[in-house]
Amino acid sequence: MPLIPIAVAVGLFEFILTRIAPAPNEVSWITTLFTTLPPEIRTLLGSDVALSSGGFLALGYTHPFFIALQVVWVVRTSSAAVADEVGRGTMDLLATRPVARWHFIAAGMTALGLGLGVILAAGLAGTAVGLFLRPLDVHVSAFLPVAGAAWLLFAAWGAVGLAIGASRRTGGQAISWTTAILAASFVLDYIARLWAPVARLRPLSLFRYYEPQAILAFGLSRAALLTLGGTILAGVLAGLLVLYRRDL
Amino acid sequence: MTPAIVTAALGKRYGPVTAVEGLDLRVEPGEVFGFLGPNGAGKTTTIRILLGLLQPSSGSAEVLGRPVGTAGTAVRSAIGYLPGELSLWPDFTGLRTLTFLEALTRQVAVDRDVLLERLGLRTSELRRPVRTYSDGMKQKLGLVQALQCRPRLVFLDEPTKGLDPLVQRAFYDIIRDTRAHGATVFFSSHVLPEVERVCDRVAILRAGRLVAAGTIEDVMQSQRRRVRATFTSPVDTSSAERFGKLIVRSDRSIELLVARGDVPAVVRHLSSWPLEDVIIEPLSLEDAFLEHYR
Repeated sequence: MPLIPIAVAVGLFEFILTRIAPAPNEVSWITTLFTTLPPEIRTLLGSDVALSSGGFLALGYTHPFFIALQVVWVVRTSSAAVADEVGRGTMDLLATRPVARWHFIAAGMTALGLGLGVILAAGLAGTAVGLFLRPLDVHVSAFLPVAGAAWLLFAAWGAVGLAIGASRRTGGQAISWTTAILAASFVLDYIARLWAPVARLRPLSLFRYYEPQAILAFGLSRAALLTLGGTILAGVLAGLLVLYRRDL
Repeated sequence: MTPAIVTAALGKRYGPVTAVEGLDLRVEPGEVFGFLGPNGAGKTTTIRILLGLLQPSSGSAEVLGRPVGTAGTAVRSAIGYLPGELSLWPDFTGLRTLTFLEALTRQVAVDRDVLLERLGLRTSELRRPVRTYSDGMKQKLGLVQALQCRPRLVFLDEPTKGLDPLVQRAFYDIIRDTRAHGATVFFSSHVLPEVERVCDRVAILRAGRLVAAGTIEDVMQSQRRRVRATFTSPVDTSSAERFGKLIVRSDRSIELLVARGDVPAVVRHLSSWPLEDVIIEPLSLEDAFLEHYR
C-alpha cells in the first residue's frame, strides 16, 4: 500500500476524532456513558477517555485502525528491504554492484523511518486542523510526544521486521513472520490488560510501552524510551549480522 | 599479471548436498572463458560464489585480485553480471533500469548507446515498463546492463537464452569487441557451438567437480579419436571392437571411439582388411562434452 493513501487515511481519521471528541462541557455526559461500559472495555479504552477531550483524542493514536495502517507500512517496507528483492531475484543485480550489504538495512530503515514520519505528521496535521476548526481544551502540541512514541514503537517493529526479512528467502515469508509476531505481541498486551494471571507478561509486548493517554499526562517514560530505542538498535544489528552471514 | 579469477579448492555444500567441490580455476585477464556443464553441475553456484552472493563452504577465490565475499565490494564497480534467471523490476522502464543500475555501479555507461543499437533495442521500447517486454527483450536489456559500464570482468550465465539467431550473431560480435577492449568474459553456456565460436579456453564441470580444462583444442585433443573405416568387400569386423568403443559396425564399415595411444594399433589392424577409406578425427567439443557425461 503506497505511503500517501496511508498518510491521508491517518490524517482524516485524526481529524474526524476532533469532530466527535467531547467538548469540555460534555465530559460529564461521556463519564456517565463510560461507567455503563463493561470494565474490560473501560480498561482497554483507558480512563482518561472520559475525563478530557485530550484523553479522547489520544484514543485516536492507539485505535486499531490507526495501528493497522502503521503496521501495513512497517511490514511492507521492512520485508521489501531484503527478502522481497531476494525472492524476486532482483537482489542478484543489486548485490553484485559496489553496494555493501549494510546499505540494504540502512536504506530499509531510512525508508521506514521517513515514511512513519510522514504518516504521523499527517495524523498530527489532522488533529491540528480539527482543533483549529473546533477548539477544545487541548493543544495539538500535546500530541507531539505521543507521535514521537508512536514513531519509536513502529520503528521498533520495523527493525524487527528488517531482521526477519534479512533472514528470509521471499517477501511473503518475511511478511508472514513479522505480522504473526506483531499480532502475537498485540494480543499479549490486550489479554494482559484484561486478565490478571498473565498481567506480569505484559512487559514482554512492545505495545506495553506505548500508552498515549499516559504519555499525554506524564510524558514518555524512560523505560519506554529505552525499550523501544533498544529494540530498534537490536533489530538493526541483528539484521546486519544475519545479512552479512547469509547466502543471497 | 594478476589473474582475473583464481580459485583454490573452492567448495560449496548445502547440508548433505555438494554443489561444488575442490574447484581449481585460473582465468587470465582478457580471455573469454567458457564454463560448461549440464544442469546442476555447479556452474551457477560457482559464478554466485565468485560474485560474493554465496559464501564458499571451503577453499578460497579471488576476483580481480581481491578475495570474494563482502570484502570484495569495492572491486564490483569493474564487474558486470548477467544472471541465468534474469529478474528485473516490472514497474521500471527499460531506461530507468539501466540508469538505476549505472548509478549503483558508480561508473559511466560509456557503451550503452552502442549496445542498444547493436542488440536492436529502440528508444521507444526503453520508455515502456519492463513488464511489457518479451523474454528476448528482457535478455537484451540484461546484456546491456551487464556491459554498459565497460566492465573489466563480466560474468554471463546462459547469455543467449531467448535471443533470436540474428541477435545472437550481434552478441558474438559484442563479446569479441569486449575482449578487444581487454575485458575478461566468464561465459556459462549449454550451447557448445557458441562456446567453440567465442571462447579461448573452457572448463567442464561435472557434479560440482572440474573434469576438463584448457583451450578448446586441448580439451578436444585429450579425448578419444573417432575412427571410421570403410571396406571394398565384406569383412568380419568384430575383432576390431577390442580397440575401443563401438559406435557403428557392418560388414563394410566400422566406427569406433579409440584412445589416442591405441590409434596406431587400430590402423595396423584395419589395414589387414580390404580398406577403402579411413578417417581419424578428434571429437568435437560437443562430443568431448558428452564423453564426460556418458
